[in-house]
Amino acid sequence: MNTLNNYWLRRVLSSLLVIAVVLSLNFFLFRLMPGDPTGSLLDPRFSPEAKQELLKSYGLDKPLSQQFFMYVKQMLAFRFGISFMSQRPVWQELAERLPNTLLLLFPALLLSAVLGTLLGVAAAKGRGRLTEKAVLLSGAISFSFPSFFVQLVLLLLLAHAFPIFPLRGSLSVPPPTGFWNLVVDRAWHMALPIASLVLLGFGSWALYVRNLMVKVLGEDFILLARAKGLRENEVLWGHAFRTALPPIVTIFFLSLPGVISGAVITETVFSLHGIGKFLLDSVLGHDYPAAGAAFYLMSLVTVICNLLADVVYTFVDPRISFRRLR
Amino acid sequence: MSFWRLDTLFLAFLSLLALLTPLLGPVNEAVAPPFCKPLWLDHESGKPLSLNAKDNSLSFTWESKPPKTFSVKGTVTFEDVPKSASLLLAGPSKTYKLVDLAGYRNFDVDIDSRDVPLKLFLGLSPFVDVSSVIFSERGAYSLFIASDVKAHVDLNLNIYTGKWGIFGTDQRGRDVFRLTLAGIRISLLVGIFATLIASTLGMGLGLFAGYLGGLADSSIMRGVDVLLAIPTLPILVVISGVWGRGLWQIVFVLSIFSWMGTARVVRSLTLSLREAPYVEGLRALGAPTGYILARHFIPEAMPLLLAQMALGVPGAILAEAGLSFLGLSDPLMPSWGRMLHEAQVFGAFTSGAWWLIFPPGLGIASICLAFISVGRRFEEMADPRLREMAER
Amino acid sequence: MGLALLLAVYLLLPAEGKAAPLDELRRPSIDELYFLIIRDNDAQLLALEGGQIDLLGDIARFSDIKRLSDDERVKLYLAEGYHAFFLGLNLRRSPWDRAELRQSLWEAVNRRQIVRDVFGGYALPLFSFLPPASPYTLVALTSDFNMKAARERLRQKGWRWSKRGVLICPGEDKPLPKMKLLTPTAQVAPTTAEIAERICESMRSLGIPIETEPMDFSMMVARLDRRDFDAYVIAWELSRDPDSLYAFYHSSMDVPGGYNISGIRKPDLDEALESLKYAANEAEARLSAEKVQTLLYEYIPQVPIYSRYHIAALQSEWQGAIASLYMTPDNTYSLLSLRHENKKAFYWCLAEEPRNLNPLSASSAYEWQVLSVIYESLLAVDPFTLEDVPWLAESWRLDTVSEGGKEKTRITFKIREGVKWQDGSPFGASDVKATIEFLKKSAIPRYFDSVKDVERVEAADNTLTVTFSGKSYWYLHQIGGLPMLSAGVLSSLKDWRRLPEEDIIGTGPFSFSKYKPGEYVKLDKNELYWRK
Repeated sequence: MNTLNNYWLRRVLSSLLVIAVVLSLNFFLFRLMPGDPTGSLLDPRFSPEAKQELLKSYGLDKPLSQQFFMYVKQMLAFRFGISFMSQRPVWQELAERLPNTLLLLFPALLLSAVLGTLLGVAAAKGRGRLTEKAVLLSGAISFSFPSFFVQLVLLLLLAHAFPIFPLRGSLSVPPPTGFWNLVVDRAWHMALPIASLVLLGFGSWALYVRNLMVKVLGEDFILLARAKGLRENEVLWGHAFRTALPPIVTIFFLSLPGVISGAVITETVFSLHGIGKFLLDSVLGHDYPAAGAAFYLMSLVTVICNLLADVVYTFVDPRISFRRLR
Repeated sequence: MSFWRLDTLFLAFLSLLALLTPLLGPVNEAVAPPFCKPLWLDHESGKPLSLNAKDNSLSFTWESKPPKTFSVKGTVTFEDVPKSASLLLAGPSKTYKLVDLAGYRNFDVDIDSRDVPLKLFLGLSPFVDVSSVIFSERGAYSLFIASDVKAHVDLNLNIYTGKWGIFGTDQRGRDVFRLTLAGIRISLLVGIFATLIASTLGMGLGLFAGYLGGLADSSIMRGVDVLLAIPTLPILVVISGVWGRGLWQIVFVLSIFSWMGTARVVRSLTLSLREAPYVEGLRALGAPTGYILARHFIPEAMPLLLAQMALGVPGAILAEAGLSFLGLSDPLMPSWGRMLHEAQVFGAFTSGAWWLIFPPGLGIASICLAFISVGRRFEEMADPRLREMAER
Repeated sequence: MGLALLLAVYLLLPAEGKAAPLDELRRPSIDELYFLIIRDNDAQLLALEGGQIDLLGDIARFSDIKRLSDDERVKLYLAEGYHAFFLGLNLRRSPWDRAELRQSLWEAVNRRQIVRDVFGGYALPLFSFLPPASPYTLVALTSDFNMKAARERLRQKGWRWSKRGVLICPGEDKPLPKMKLLTPTAQVAPTTAEIAERICESMRSLGIPIETEPMDFSMMVARLDRRDFDAYVIAWELSRDPDSLYAFYHSSMDVPGGYNISGIRKPDLDEALESLKYAANEAEARLSAEKVQTLLYEYIPQVPIYSRYHIAALQSEWQGAIASLYMTPDNTYSLLSLRHENKKAFYWCLAEEPRNLNPLSASSAYEWQVLSVIYESLLAVDPFTLEDVPWLAESWRLDTVSEGGKEKTRITFKIREGVKWQDGSPFGASDVKATIEFLKKSAIPRYFDSVKDVERVEAADNTLTVTFSGKSYWYLHQIGGLPMLSAGVLSSLKDWRRLPEEDIIGTGPFSFSKYKPGEYVKLDKNELYWRK
């Protein structure tokens, strides 16, 4: 137990170290980029004095070391400051966008994982038969197509040629009144984006789970279970799947950070007000507070999810112990 | 099991194409007017026409749908300054005055059916397609000068049907078919090199972490965690801002951000191999670490590594396509992602120009499929249980 | 020759809605005004076709134009604008310091072909240093595309060509070194990348060994600020007044960060620019503008290439749009006069997120698309003649007074009576005074130059007198164009960078109602609007 506590202590400490490194990288990387936030304000009516005033109002005329200390203090206190581009608190910008991204990517991840897992198990169960071939082929195809291509084609087909779904946005304008109407409207708007992401995402899950299940089904203890006379379904789900579950869950947790950062293209194509596009726009626009905060948030979530994945793994599979590495 | 299955043959064919396409010449030059449709698409549009008028008039017939655009360029020289003169284009039932030449001894004619001033001169709305108005009928046409003074004419009439090549042309007038072929090279280069570098890095670091353990292991794993915590896209934007956009910048960034998976897998394999009896025996015999790693661990890890690589290539190709689609790549690099970006930006999706969209899209998908198929076979080599079983 | 044709044809362009002078504008018939945020070009087009939006401005792709021109439910409008795209040169470096090379460059670029191929004809080849819609533009009646003449001019001045066709400067024996043309990347403006390539091709045909160097826009601006470049391309959104000429071509603006990026320093040009900047009245302004442009045609510090047409589409069911040669119907006047048989809600497409609905700090055209309907100024611009039109100021008078040995401009405005703020309080000269003084005191970057020469402001009853520290005809437009803010709001404002939503109060025909980020901005009809 002592070893275990030591392990967790070291894990938490190293996570903090990671965050510290990421924070510093964050700061210097953006300022490495030549140009400054006033660069995009190209207007002959903006005299050089006016530009200086603007830089002063951003606090960018102070020396770099001073800016760095202010930055670290603010990040640790979660005080993200004011966005250069919109002059609104960065917290507000993030808070507006985070729900949209989460609403898009979390269901998509869940559905892809569930669908992919079910298909993977079905493929492993139906080895050598059409099921396996079909799953392998569809999984490979799902993985191979570029996301924007599928999304744009879907949009053209199901939102324009046959106008079943809306073209853009996450809500109708003006939004309907009444709680359930709102829910339905939201769902209708998110249907295409989520569907496209699931179509593109189930492939890697299906292939991975199929491989995993095939390996597990080849283990001795499965042979034993079959010899004991257990029914096939019981063997499949009760024994094989249970063994395969820890790595699947680990991968799920490791995929969670992608839930926040992975939607730039989808948000662009479907005009969704999300964090991915926000990060891209902020970086391109040298909006240091906004970009820094978004970056920091994503890194934080990744580190936390890594820790969570480890926790879940240990609890789900008590066979694993930790040896000191020499 | 034969090596030359469909997927390997396909990849070999593509590599051959990739090697040979540079011989066809530069791909970034305009070969035809922009936004031409493929030749085989529409059979009623007639053939392009290019005529030169040396006399005062030029006669021809037009027996197809109205052409996409036409132009009249050249010079008109009068023997004396005319008081009234104009350039006219007469069709089967109507005559159109294209430009007024009165008051000038020499006139440089530069008329194109796309010019807004011409449309207004003809009394049409600026949004009308002049060709479809003037060439609305099939029959005999003639281009001539009507003036009170004798004129010497050197005019070129060009009628464009807006069709070219197998896949038409893009917004710069480049041959889309050639671009698609050139894209093979880019995708293969990015995919293979990024994955090669990432795998080498991953294998090296994974081996060291797993075998040496201790500080080396912890620091390498911390490095993995840090890199995993950084979102790729902003880094690429920053790097392209500092170093410019280009093929090798993308390869570099993709490599830096994809070695972690391989490293982890190799590390766990190393960890398990380390405890194997034969390794202990080798160590007892005094074999140096390098020897053990090179002669024993690497061959053991090879099939797994090859599987990782073959599956990593589609990832790299898709990542590059995504980055190009967002517009973050070198505009001069004919990558498929870039082609799709330009198609989308210039309205190919809404105008239904599927010949600009499907070649690069399907190209990406088919290369990825081929690599996945090859990768699966390596996986099966590494772990024979994964082999796709024959019918039971 | 072709230019004469162009000029003749501009006069023929019909100006629609001429029969409805601005005096006849009434209160809007639209009750609710929605700005739908649609960033993607394709989605905008499909939304218009599907009837989800009524008005779409700034249509740039000619595939969209073609598609919409076939659609009968939608009417397209075209207008000249203040857009101007230039090829910039670094006159501090060889070979750009040679006037004959710049003059030959002017003739080496086939602007017409660029406009045809890249825009499908929907742009104007630009042969002047001011935009086509400016009343001060002097069009050069010479020099169209003529590669032969360009090469001949160089030959006569002693230039030669190497075996590979690269130019050799007179007096030197090595050909010109390789150079780079800085251009924004295709993500910022896709057509710009195309045009830059074609310009490079033209320059190479002339014998200049140059290639494009696409780069991030801010990086490019940083290089330009450092004066570290050979040539570049850039698009400017200029204005009705020729004051941009001073910023671009006066030697005092050739400082790091200043807008004299080309580095031209000519005393006669400086003198003409100064008399333009400090012109006492319109007549002087016109004369100086002509003189400046004549000199510019000689010196050619940068080469104008094209100017974009503004193209907008409106659902045909909406009647009464106000559009002219200079304005497409996406303007406030139209919003006041548009009528529909049964609809009362109007949907206008907004192409980018208006992140900052604060007239003190808003800097993008999209934010102002919304704000210009909420806030008004003392003066407005007549869409047909481009002349000044009374708006919140009923009349005005320009005087030149002598004070302390200096000549100063003094403008006296008669403020319109009966105007109310959207929160019900009355609007008066004291609000105008408060606005001007606030902008000056807080040194707000956007209005810095507009108010920096204001010496004092006096408000009495409904008369406002502004005295400046110098003399210039342009002060009228600088003050006349300021958005009017309520003295009440300004006095309680703690930080000008943050304006709470409930303080977005103007005198305009629509008042702020709701902003749902990423989706829309909603405005309501201002029942207290001063127009009857």
